[in-house]
Amino acid sequence: MKLGRTKGWLLFALCVILAPIVFRNNSYLLIVLILCGINVIMTSSLRAMATVGQMCMGSMAFSGIGAYTSALLTLKAGFPFWAAFPLAGLVAMAVAAIIAFPFVRVTGVYFAMLTLFLGEVVRLIIVEWNSLTGGVTGLTGIPPMGAISLLGVHVDFTSLLPYCYFVFFVMMVTLIVLYRIDRSFLGTTLAAIEKDEDVSASVGINVIKYKALLFCIGCFFFGLAGSLLAHYMRILNADSFSLFGSIYILIYMVAGGRKKFSGPIVGAVVLTLIPEMFRVMKQYQPLVFVAVLFFVLYFLRAGLADLPDKIRHLIKKTHPGKAANA
Amino acid sequence: MLETRGLTKNFGGLCAVNNINITVEPDEIVGLIGPNGAGKTTVFNLLTGFLRPTKGSILFEGMDITSLKPHAITRLGLVRTFQLVRILPEFTVARNMIAASHLHPKIGLWEAIFNTSGYRRKEKEILAGLGEILELVGLTEVKDVLAQNLPYGHQKKLGIAMALATKPRLLLLDESLSGMNPAEVENALGIIDLIRKRGTAILLIEHNMQAVMSICDRLYVINFGTEICRGLPDEVKQDKQVIEAYLGSGKKHA
Amino acid sequence: MWDGVLQGIFNGLASGWIYVLVALGLALVFSILGILQFAHGEIYMLGAYVVYYACVVGHIPFLLALLISALVMGVGGIILERVMFRRIRGEMEPAILAAIGLTLLFQTVAVIAFGGYTKFIPSVFPGVVKLGGVRLSKDRLFAVIMGLVLTSALFLVIKKTKVGKAMLAVSHDPEAAALQGINVNRISSLSMGIGSALAAIAGGLMGSILQLAPHMGTFAITKGIAVIILGGIGSISGAVLGGLILGLVDGLIPLYSSGTMAAIVGFCVIILVLLVRPKGLLGHD
Repeated sequence: MKLGRTKGWLLFALCVILAPIVFRNNSYLLIVLILCGINVIMTSSLRAMATVGQMCMGSMAFSGIGAYTSALLTLKAGFPFWAAFPLAGLVAMAVAAIIAFPFVRVTGVYFAMLTLFLGEVVRLIIVEWNSLTGGVTGLTGIPPMGAISLLGVHVDFTSLLPYCYFVFFVMMVTLIVLYRIDRSFLGTTLAAIEKDEDVSASVGINVIKYKALLFCIGCFFFGLAGSLLAHYMRILNADSFSLFGSIYILIYMVAGGRKKFSGPIVGAVVLTLIPEMFRVMKQYQPLVFVAVLFFVLYFLRAGLADLPDKIRHLIKKTHPGKAANA
Repeated sequence: MLETRGLTKNFGGLCAVNNINITVEPDEIVGLIGPNGAGKTTVFNLLTGFLRPTKGSILFEGMDITSLKPHAITRLGLVRTFQLVRILPEFTVARNMIAASHLHPKIGLWEAIFNTSGYRRKEKEILAGLGEILELVGLTEVKDVLAQNLPYGHQKKLGIAMALATKPRLLLLDESLSGMNPAEVENALGIIDLIRKRGTAILLIEHNMQAVMSICDRLYVINFGTEICRGLPDEVKQDKQVIEAYLGSGKKHA
Repeated sequence: MWDGVLQGIFNGLASGWIYVLVALGLALVFSILGILQFAHGEIYMLGAYVVYYACVVGHIPFLLALLISALVMGVGGIILERVMFRRIRGEMEPAILAAIGLTLLFQTVAVIAFGGYTKFIPSVFPGVVKLGGVRLSKDRLFAVIMGLVLTSALFLVIKKTKVGKAMLAVSHDPEAAALQGINVNRISSLSMGIGSALAAIAGGLMGSILQLAPHMGTFAITKGIAVIILGGIGSISGAVLGGLILGLVDGLIPLYSSGTMAAIVGFCVIILVLLVRPKGLLGHD
């Protein structure tokens, strides 16, 4: 098993490094890769929150906070991107931290509803606070990342290829951090909380503290993702971060499966790529999501990431002889 | 070490626990016995913060813990097991123990993320510690078995092992011998004695009278939430009220 | 000035009763099937469009159109219950996810079938009733009356009829109800049917007062959930109280601020309720 995991990471890293170069002349595909990367960040963060049993339905609100923070700092306050970007994550995390402790006391479907309304409130505040955020029309002309010169090498992140690598870099950092938390003994603590909060409390685990911690960490990465979106799209308005956005991320996570760490990655990649591959009209794209969602819900509850295991299982059942060799 | 003063719990009109005053000294094994429904588990729930008392207070090593939450009480060294075994069924035995080792040593967020040498040392420490406890309770062979696949007696032992992983000063055992055959009981009593020798005091709820008499230093007997007798096992055995409580007045059910 | 306030109150009550009708269906399904039927808003939306096409395109009188829509969506609800929700009755998470899938499905189909532009059902009862300085639009009056009538009807059904008492039993304890000989499956279907019918009528009324658009369902489900949280899960009178309160908020606050502010205030109230008193005002579960 351990070898399989390392192989998986290496393969993934290889794809991440090679894909942008392979497609460097295809702007469209580069854009898709960028969106993939951002979606992976968000979906994995959602899963991190879900590992302690929190189903967050307002996650896009924190991306929105991060996006507007980053956009306003660069657009109106003249901050360079390299300062605004981490601040986007920190501001989102700060907001999360303020509301975390009262919020995480609420459990189950009530927490989902709570975050749903939180998401709506944030979106409406963005709309209402016209002077700051530009309201419904939003912000335009958000500065791109700009260029840097390091050791004589000049990289212009305004163009798609370098930006794609930057997004992938942030994605890998996010994944490594979340993976380390998940794999470590701390991750066992978190998994215990999801399974049985009373047992966890009786062995000394401060359930509220860890739920709040995961909530804040997740929101930090959502904030970063928001900033990445803002500087890619260069325009923002309140509708970019609506309830449906949060729902899409939730669907990515469910489709990929939230038990395995690779689940959200698979879900985000598949559901970002498939609509593009089928090249259906924009109007029909959600139907693809619906199809995948129902397929997973009714046939593959554990998610698409579980497909290899399921197939192996089916092979074993139908060809018992093969099991000896498998 | 542990002292309750006037501990009382009412549920609406029903008084489940009435003015309970018990003490436990370090190195003691104290028994809390009484017929079914006497309120013993309620006392445990009150002691460990799962329920808030209506009246009275609880002192542990001099500190008032009456209004503390369960995890904080565990941190102070007062831990319980559950009557209906509460472990994490979908985890292996080893993983259950890792979760239970949460407090000792504490793992911080940053060291886990960066896989520091400090973190790796703590990992080794935890694995060594849990190995030792599993050996104490006799579960070493089933280390990698899923907890839900264990026989009931082993699950109970796992519950005790997990409580031990929190390095308790006082361990509350709730019916840890129920459902065991005589050989298992014998084995379990040996473990309980070993626990005492390692420096943990024990307060146990138990129905198995023979076991209780053999291992407890002192006893409290409660019925209908009220204490009806206390003292050494031999004294309590002969107390009229106790006998009546267990045998019933004879009139009741048919 | 007071006229403005009274006007706001009246308008708020009209929207409020529509929220009540949506919330009643949602609460019914929640109590009896044990799931949060997230696609309830889409049934409201589809119901509105049925009324639109019956009324505007088919020239069927409004009241009849409402009835047709209620029947169509009621049957639709029953079909949904049998095909989808029966299997996952009581399992909150898969049910919400499946309902989310339905929501996406219906909204996408609606945009494709009906077009993305807003539509209007022309005024059914044109004109206003003047009461002092307040103009009570007859359409809104009609909505209020429908709300009162249907809510009272539901109350009566639940309290007085055998079916209603069966529904009450299932909502408290499905297993015990089954042991008493109640056909839980049939009650589940019936509840979905009634709930969907109410949502459809609410949609039609909203279409006549304001407008229709393919995304009106999102608005409805958000309001519906807000109402049942405020009023209390499991309580029908709570749904009425919650719906009217939120309606008044939506009617009064725009006088001093804006519609957006009204929504913000409303949702903040809900967040507070969830944090402090999750049972809601009149809830008992």
